[in-house]
Amino acid sequence: MANTSSREAHARRIGAQDRFATGVLTVIVGLVMVLVVAIIAYILVRGAGRALTPGFLTNTSSDAVLPGIAYQLFDSFYLLLVTLVISVPISLGAAIFLVEYAPDNWVTSAAKTAIETLSSLPSIVVGMFGSLFFVVTLGWGISIIAGACALTMFNIPILVRTIQQALEDVPASQRDAALAMGLTRWETTVNVLLPAAMPAIVTGVVISAGRVFGEAAALIFTAGSAPARLNFADPFGPIGPFNIFRPACSLAVYIWRLTSEPTAGSTEIVWGTATILLACVLLFNLLARLLGKALSRRLTAE
Amino acid sequence: MANPMPKRRLENIGLSITGFCVALVALVVVTLIVMVAQQGLTTFFVDGLDPVAFFTGQNWIPEQERYGALPMIVGSFAVTLLSTAIALPVAIGSAMFVVEIAPGFGRRVFQPFIELLVGIPSVVYGVLGLYVINSLMRAIFGDAAGTGAGILSGSLVLAIMILPTVTTLSIDALRAVPEEYRSGSYALGCTRWQTIWHVVLKSALPSLMTAVILGMTRAFGETLAVQMVIGGVERSMPSGLLDPASTLTAALTAGLTNAVSGSVYYHALWTLGLLLLAMSLVFILIIHLIGRKGAKARG
Amino acid sequence: MSTNVSRRQFLGMTGTAAAVVAGLGLVGCSSGSDTGDAGSAAADLSGSISCSGATSFQPLVEAAAEQFYETYPNVSIAISAGGSGQGLSQIAEGSVQIGRSDVFAEAKLEEDQLAGLVDHQVAIVGMGPIVHADVDVDDLTLEQLKGIFMGEITDWEEVGGTAGAIQVIQREAGSGTRATFEDAVLAGETAPDSFRPVAEVDSSGTVIEQVAQTEGSISYVAFNYMENDGIKALSVDGVEPTRESVESGDFAIWSYEHMYTREDEAEETKAVTDAFIEFLLSEDVQQNLVPEQGFIPVADMQVKKDAEGNVTEA
Repeated sequence: MANTSSREAHARRIGAQDRFATGVLTVIVGLVMVLVVAIIAYILVRGAGRALTPGFLTNTSSDAVLPGIAYQLFDSFYLLLVTLVISVPISLGAAIFLVEYAPDNWVTSAAKTAIETLSSLPSIVVGMFGSLFFVVTLGWGISIIAGACALTMFNIPILVRTIQQALEDVPASQRDAALAMGLTRWETTVNVLLPAAMPAIVTGVVISAGRVFGEAAALIFTAGSAPARLNFADPFGPIGPFNIFRPACSLAVYIWRLTSEPTAGSTEIVWGTATILLACVLLFNLLARLLGKALSRRLTAE
Repeated sequence: MANPMPKRRLENIGLSITGFCVALVALVVVTLIVMVAQQGLTTFFVDGLDPVAFFTGQNWIPEQERYGALPMIVGSFAVTLLSTAIALPVAIGSAMFVVEIAPGFGRRVFQPFIELLVGIPSVVYGVLGLYVINSLMRAIFGDAAGTGAGILSGSLVLAIMILPTVTTLSIDALRAVPEEYRSGSYALGCTRWQTIWHVVLKSALPSLMTAVILGMTRAFGETLAVQMVIGGVERSMPSGLLDPASTLTAALTAGLTNAVSGSVYYHALWTLGLLLLAMSLVFILIIHLIGRKGAKARG
Repeated sequence: MSTNVSRRQFLGMTGTAAAVVAGLGLVGCSSGSDTGDAGSAAADLSGSISCSGATSFQPLVEAAAEQFYETYPNVSIAISAGGSGQGLSQIAEGSVQIGRSDVFAEAKLEEDQLAGLVDHQVAIVGMGPIVHADVDVDDLTLEQLKGIFMGEITDWEEVGGTAGAIQVIQREAGSGTRATFEDAVLAGETAPDSFRPVAEVDSSGTVIEQVAQTEGSISYVAFNYMENDGIKALSVDGVEPTRESVESGDFAIWSYEHMYTREDEAEETKAVTDAFIEFLLSEDVQQNLVPEQGFIPVADMQVKKDAEGNVTEA
């Protein structure tokens, strides 16, 4: 008798414990959701007004009436483009090597460790290194190319990992079939694996683009913080927009600079820029999802 | 088909192209390490500072040529540990809810949601911290909080910043626990909470620890956000959580703009950079050790 | 191939700063070009130069550059923030054409780095103490200021205000503004190790922000930042922080805004650099733009300072 009641008590106790734990976990998740919404809402409330003002995206920052962020926006995208042009081929090659060729020896494990090291480096250390190596040693000066190389150092570990994952996720049967047909490993990779992994790779590249877009610490000492006057008539001239040896100022660096040295009315510009930056990153995430979906649909349709 | 030579050549080309990419990455990493080490060690070998005094000195006052890095080392570890302590329960709690209680909601709503936090640039977190967290600190603690900037404010901002990393990795860790473990536990009559606590959490422990270390790595290396909210006081040791302090990264950003290349101050800053680099290598080593231990435990 | 190049260049890095400068000098020599005669220079002058360094007078330089472009449409000047240290090391290395500093180069650079640098003092900046708007003190003596920033005076009651803790907000170590302020106020002494300010911030903007938000706080900024909401400028020894009191030498906390250029600058950019410096020192900019931006024209000063900080009649 006593035994049964104590067992019932135990059942009640663990039942209550279970309900209590579920309650606590629900509250935690609720709080996290509230936090995310609050942060984003706060930025939007303070910045959306300015961000939506016509002219904010198209005026230059020296505009007397409504200072805008046209050059910073351009520089951000251009920096991103140069970064991707450098980092995507290298990451692709490195990932293919690690997945398809890598011999199981110290060379491979050293390479893996090197990539892992890159992924954990504080951005300021990359910035310091860039300011000495790319800017002074290689003699590129404070320039877009120096900034893009610093950004590449962040981007490579993220990209290599996603591409590696994407290649490994291709069903083994596809690889075996291609190899059985007498294709070399290289042909298999280029003709079978890469197309099959493409949706995941594209998604990964776009998501990494979002991360790179908001980086500031590594850029301050490599690409600088000065929006040069751009001359669109001569795109590759000394002050041409596409000249990779001119200094640049990305959106994130611009925010840092304006909070450090505010001028009249700069607070609104800071929040407006933050809103635009946030919107760009959200757009990248959305784009990644859509592109991934569209690509995989097309591939399976074929 | 008849001619095997081009095939082999093709294979060699493939191998050399991809091998070159890997070699390039490795070379850049080696260059970085050598360069940071070379600049950082100049402090001791050329400028003649005593390494022991450097790492244990309690005063960082460059204008008096006094370089003691302990205040920043303590600051860095304090914000890293504190922010992890704040973020960890929230992250693992969310992961439990999302994996064990409401998987559909987790995949469709919660995960995309928390990934939004990753996308917010660290400068924006810094600005948020400067305006919101610092005012909050002053409102709660009054005069004792000073400007509101301090170790606690820095830790709070960092906790929010590492939350998505730790949460996403924890979710992955819990998901990786085989379904049979859960079925087995339920078959024995365990409640959901008992299953989560005694079975799922235990078997996911190595992966969860990896998640924690990766979060700490991010917190340790975070720069602009922390610099804006921690107060930047490097001259002596902080004595409490509300005390303004500085971290290795914050000292670097502030100092690099003022130091002239080639000066002792400049080299001392590189030594801080070297320390940051060494710490991130240590974090990687810990992750490897956990991974190896986990593999051994699983047999 | 590319491995070789980067290794060689990497080894090159171990050379001294002098070697880097020499290398750049060679590049300059090989790419010399004629810049045309002065008469038609305005429209013809083209090129891009970099100007980096002190943030304190960056707004002034930016505004001047905007006006400069009206006369010289084909010129671009990239004006980077970075701090005096960056400005000076970059001009010493030759990686920029103009290095801005709010302290004398002699204070930061080694003897051999100074060679070839030309100092242009383009404006004077006055600095003064500011407090949170609710602090009911309007004047401090230099002695009191020194006491506060040495950590000896910790309550507003001790200097004639309502009781309340004094929250000292400093600029970061190495800042030019801080160096100027401490030179004038601490007079060579240093604060004891035990003294901890509530923040050491790395820009004037953040100083304004934090002083405006923190009750009982005191810090210091350049005159051009004093107009902000939530803060109040103090007079020192009864002297108001104004342009006139700095010019007469009565207000002691001020410094030059320096723009350093190199004698051995490459021909192609030298014309632009010279024209811009000349423009900054022109009567028009000095008498209009400089005061508008909160600075003081050099020509109006009745006293002058040398690199050692000695003040003499001009």
